Parts: sequence; C-alpha cells; structure tokens
Amino acid sequence: MNPRSVPWAQLGPLLALLFASGFFAATTEHFFSGPNLSLILQQVTVVGVIAIGQTLVILTAGIDLSCGMVMALGGIVMTKLAVEAGLPAPLAVLAGVAVTTLFGLANGLLVTRVRLPAFIVTLGTYNIAFAVTQLYSGSQTVTDLPAALTALGNTFTLGGTEVAFGTVLMLGLYALAWFVLRETAAGRHVYAVGNNAEAARLVGIPVQRVLLAAYALAGALYGIASLLSVARTGVGDPNAGQTENLEAITAVVLGGTSLFGGRGVVVGSLLGALVVGVFRNGLTLMGVSSVYQVLVTGILVIVAVAVDQLSRRASQ
Amino acid sequence: MNTSRPARVVLQATGLVKRYGHVTALDGADFELRSGEILAVIGDNGAGKSTLVKALSGALRPDAGEIALDGRRAHFRSPLDARRAGIETLHQDLAVAPALTIAENLYLGRELRRAGFAGRVLRMLDKRRMRDESAARMAELQVGIPSMTQPVETLSGGQRQCVAVARAATFATHVVIMDEPTAALGVKESAMVLDLIRRVRDRGLAVVLISHNMPHVFEVADRIHVARLGRRCAVLNPKKTAMRDAVAVMTGALPPERIPAECVA
Repeated sequence: MNPRSVPWAQLGPLLALLFASGFFAATTEHFFSGPNLSLILQQVTVVGVIAIGQTLVILTAGIDLSCGMVMALGGIVMTKLAVEAGLPAPLAVLAGVAVTTLFGLANGLLVTRVRLPAFIVTLGTYNIAFAVTQLYSGSQTVTDLPAALTALGNTFTLGGTEVAFGTVLMLGLYALAWFVLRETAAGRHVYAVGNNAEAARLVGIPVQRVLLAAYALAGALYGIASLLSVARTGVGDPNAGQTENLEAITAVVLGGTSLFGGRGVVVGSLLGALVVGVFRNGLTLMGVSSVYQVLVTGILVIVAVAVDQLSRRASQ
Repeated sequence: MNTSRPARVVLQATGLVKRYGHVTALDGADFELRSGEILAVIGDNGAGKSTLVKALSGALRPDAGEIALDGRRAHFRSPLDARRAGIETLHQDLAVAPALTIAENLYLGRELRRAGFAGRVLRMLDKRRMRDESAARMAELQVGIPSMTQPVETLSGGQRQCVAVARAATFATHVVIMDEPTAALGVKESAMVLDLIRRVRDRGLAVVLISHNMPHVFEVADRIHVARLGRRCAVLNPKKTAMRDAVAVMTGALPPERIPAECVA
C-alpha cells in the first residue's frame, strides 16, 4: 500500500482510543465491564453531539468557541419554560433549540455578512451566552423537571447491558451527519468551501450560504445537546457546558478534522469524543482528582493540533 | 488554423468601455474569437487585458459596448450567466480544491445526483457516474491520470492544471478562457498543459489564452490579440511575426500602422 494512501487522519484517533482503553483496562478493574462501557457512551453523548456541530463549522475552516455556553443557555431556556412558565415539554424543547439555533445563525451572519473572524465572533457570543444564561436563571439551578425532559436519560436493555436513549440519538445524529457530508452535494460543498473558498465561489457554490447553514445547524445541534445534558443531570444547570466547550473542540481535532478546514470525517469526532470520555472515565476509576482530567484534556487538544499542523507541513 | 473558408465568429465584442474612477481600463476595445482557434491575448500590465477578459467572462459589466455570442447579443450579469451561455473560465491559481478528489473537482458545483428516490428525496450523489464520466473525459483529452478518486493535492502542478483545463473543456459548449494557465509550471509541465490546450481546440472549442509567456503564446496560438492602452491595437499572425516584433507592438515601440501587412491576422 502506498504510504500516502494510508488514512492516518482516521486511523490516528482509532489507535488513540485503543491505546487509552488498553491502558485503563490494564490498570483498573472495572473498565472493560458492560455497565462501564455503557456509562462512557452516556457520558460522551453531550460532548459527542456538540462535536458534530463543531465538526461542521471546523470543516468550513471556521471555529465555534461558543458551543458549550450556547448549549447551557438552551438547557436553561428549556427547563425554565417547562417548570416556571408551565409550557408543555415538547414546546419548551423546541424553544430551547430555537434559541441555540439563533445563536448559531448570529455567529454565521457576523462571519459572513460583517466578515469578522470566527474566532473573535464566537469568543464574543461565548461570553454573551454565558451572561444571558446567568441573568435569565438568576444563577439558580432549575429543578423538579417534568419526566418528558429527562426521557432521553432513560435506558433500555440490549444484550444484558443498559443503553440510554440519548446514546441512540447521538449515534443516529452521527449517521445522519456522515451521510449528508459524504453522499450529498451540500456535504461536499462544505468541504470545498473549507478547502478553497475562492475556487468554490468561482464554480458557483453559494459560499456565504454554506457558511451560514453550517453555523446555524451547529447551533441547532447544541440545542439537542442541551436536551441530552438536561436528561443526564436531571436539572437545568446554569454552569453546564464549561468543560464541554473545550472537550468538543478537542474531540473534533483528535478525530482528525483539520483546523485549517476542508479535511476530516465526522465519525472521527465520535472517536475523539470517546477518547476524551475514556480518559475521564479511566482517571476517575483510578481515583485521580477531576482537576487532572482537565489537565489531560488540555494536553490532548494541544497534541492533536500539533499532529494536524505537523502532518500538514509534511505533506507540503 | 489555415482553413480556406472563413471561420465562424463565436465571441465578439465591440467598443467596450470600462472606467474605474479616473482610470480608464477599457477605452473602446474590440475583440473577435473564431470557432476552433486558440486566440492568445497579450499586453503589458495595465493594457486592459484582464479587464477585457473579465467582461467576456461575466465577472464585470462594461460601461459601454456590446458583446455577442454566436451572433446574438449577450448580457452577462455574472460569471454564472456566462457559464450558462457556454463560456467556461479558468482562473489563475484558484481553480481546484486540493483535498477533494479529481472526480469531485471536475463536478464541483454541478454534481450529478442519482435517479429516483435516492437522488430526489435523499439527494444522494451518483459518485460512480461522476467517476466514470471523469475517467472518460480524461481519456478523451489524453490526460494520463490513472485514478479519479485520488485527491488533487497528490498530483503535480501540471496535472492539477490539466484537471482544471479538463473541467473547463468538459462543460464549455462555446468558449474556454484561460488566464495564465502555465504561469506556475516548469518546462515539462507547461508542455503537457499546452498540448492539452491544443486538444481542447481540436475538439472544436474556441480558446482564449491570456499569457505573459511569449514562447508559449507563439507555440500554440493561431492568432494573437495585442491589447494596449485599453484597446485592441493589433491582431498578429504568429506564423509570420517575429516574437520581438510582437513585443514591440505590445510596448508601443512598433506603432500599429507600421506593422508589415503579412504579420496581420
């Protein structure tokens, strides 16, 4: 096999996942048990779904630093509307997803119409979303949620192992994103825009519309992640999303999607999210304090970006 | 092309004017492209050749003057308009998305969808057909690239340019405009692209070749349009004209009225 045709970008995250799993399986007792693996999957649903949206944005050569904060705002909107305004759960969920989609749309409009760098725009909306979440919730956790809001946290038994509905939803969303990005013209246009926006424009691809759609869709996905987060924790938490923000970007980059845009596979982001999840879970099993888990995430993202950068330099 | 019967005029412009503030980029420029020919457009910087080409490819609208395609007046409001009319333009350096495959690049922006439910409802691409058609086009134009599924970035610069030329030739029905297609290429690679340009012409398309490279122009052009001071200053026959005389016309050292009659095409 020609060394250039080996898909290192896709094999890398798989190897990292196998290596991390092997390490924790050897050093802890319960890592490779059905319940623990199911738990890891449940723990990565929120980061995993945010990472789909983040992948879309990064493929267009952008970045969305606001993802975790927008997700937290969506959760507060859903829970407050359901609990305090007494809105039926489906409407409350829709309202929450609408708010996160609007945030995504705002990011997209500022990037395309005002032509601001995505990095700065989303750093701004990160802070705006955080402040709005705190103001709207009064920094208070929303409790006593109706059962419908936490339904995705429920589980069913599959081959003796409990599987959460949220896990199934996440896997379904990955399958959908994989299909659209790979099999449709719209998906290929996302790659073309991130790879060479000028060439895409010259062949008649509506570059601005592709970018706007990527940011707005990412926002909608953060809204779905809000629901997953609410279902997992059972409350509306105004301080949610703070670790998910960096973890989602880490997952995407670990998954082999290039920060320079136009290269990557969305399924890689799932592998990346699993790597992050396995580290968290394994370190917890080893009794390592959660501060070290944050430390490890920080190191992982830098290593992943360095690999991306170096492989890009090597191919030039 | 030395055919006895006069060739049909495919693309014609008369009296094009384009002003940018106080600067007049086009000052009543004329242009005539015949079927099945390679017309080189040469000119010093600021002679108005890129403005002329932009007007012909729909990238800008002239302030005055007329453009006719196949004898009918044409109003191109955008590059898309010109493309729909059958004029494909190959822009310098910007033509391909390196991470996408050859087949994807060939069909970028004009993807083929599958028939039936998969195409209409699921909007699935017909990857196999795009791959097969790409391979057929490449074979037709004798571009020696084995696999249509390799990313364009794995190709040499010359092969990349060949992909871009092949794309333009595949979708053009009348005219292919190429802006400096050999600018960044070495000797062998340039020869490969120039050969391909000839084959595009031999398939019946009219080619406009903008180039600074005089040896390349003289190697492939059937006629040479010399732009100067926003107008067409002469059309030369490369078989009868010395390269240094063409440069002299271009720079103004040789006034148009003193060009020997046999050099004019």
